[in-house]
Amino acid sequence: MTDLPVYVLERLFALQPDTLWRTWTEADLLAQWYGPGVETVIHKLDVRPGGVWLNEMRMKAQSGYQRAEYIEVDPPKRLVMVQSNTDSAWKTMANPGMPDWPKTMLLEVTFEPVGEGTQMQISWSPHDASEAEIACFAGAVEQMGGGWEAGMAALEKLLAELSLS
Amino acid sequence: MNIGLRHSSGYSNLDSVFAALADPTRRIILARLMEGQASVSELCEPFAMSQPAVSKHLKVLERAGLVTRAVDQQRRPAQLNAEPMAAALSWLETFRDFWEGSFDQLDTLLMSLKSDDNRKD
Repeated sequence: MTDLPVYVLERLFALQPDTLWRTWTEADLLAQWYGPGVETVIHKLDVRPGGVWLNEMRMKAQSGYQRAEYIEVDPPKRLVMVQSNTDSAWKTMANPGMPDWPKTMLLEVTFEPVGEGTQMQISWSPHDASEAEIACFAGAVEQMGGGWEAGMAALEKLLAELSLS
Repeated sequence: MNIGLRHSSGYSNLDSVFAALADPTRRIILARLMEGQASVSELCEPFAMSQPAVSKHLKVLERAGLVTRAVDQQRRPAQLNAEPMAAALSWLETFRDFWEGSFDQLDTLLMSLKSDDNRKD
């Protein structure tokens, strides 16, 4: 189980780690930013190792549900949780659109002070995943992460042509 | 994670697309096919690989719908079909957009927290 594919996103924010930390750990703040353009309803937020975050994202036709369990809570530096898609009863389920997408993911968030601001990094990797799930996620990450190298540029050009035709 | 925005049947094949794309040899084969159709022996050239090994990779790509092969010609040239990749990319863009969009909202929230703090000072 070495070399699991990891998807990393980083962003520099203009406030101190303490403030960033609050936006992940206070339900009224978390609900305001998590999930773009959807109404986020936090049913439970218990930020301590073993505690859970039960999250509902209300969309037009239906809701999406996620359950996270905290593994590591190290304010204001590091937050590690195991996150999965669930049904409305908070029971883990496969993604209906892509059965081999990992059902459970390890999400690690780190906050690093940079000058007056904070570099926030999120890392996603499959958790307790089957080989098919790991392959599925690896394929996705490689596409996102430039694993294509020269091929990627050609692909983009081709896709642009396809969308024009 | 459940992005939840698009669960149309158009994505049902994506797992096999991603699995097909996860292999570096298959990505090189696809990159080669972007330049135009090619026979198995032509595809073997850049690799120290036997024709049966390359054929096996082609079968995976065919099952994912990324490659089609002519049935009526002796050399059965392989041809790229990019549409499943377009679907794969749009799925990934959804995934990335979820976080980028959330981060944008977080930026806005932080700005309002910052002005609250300033008021207190």
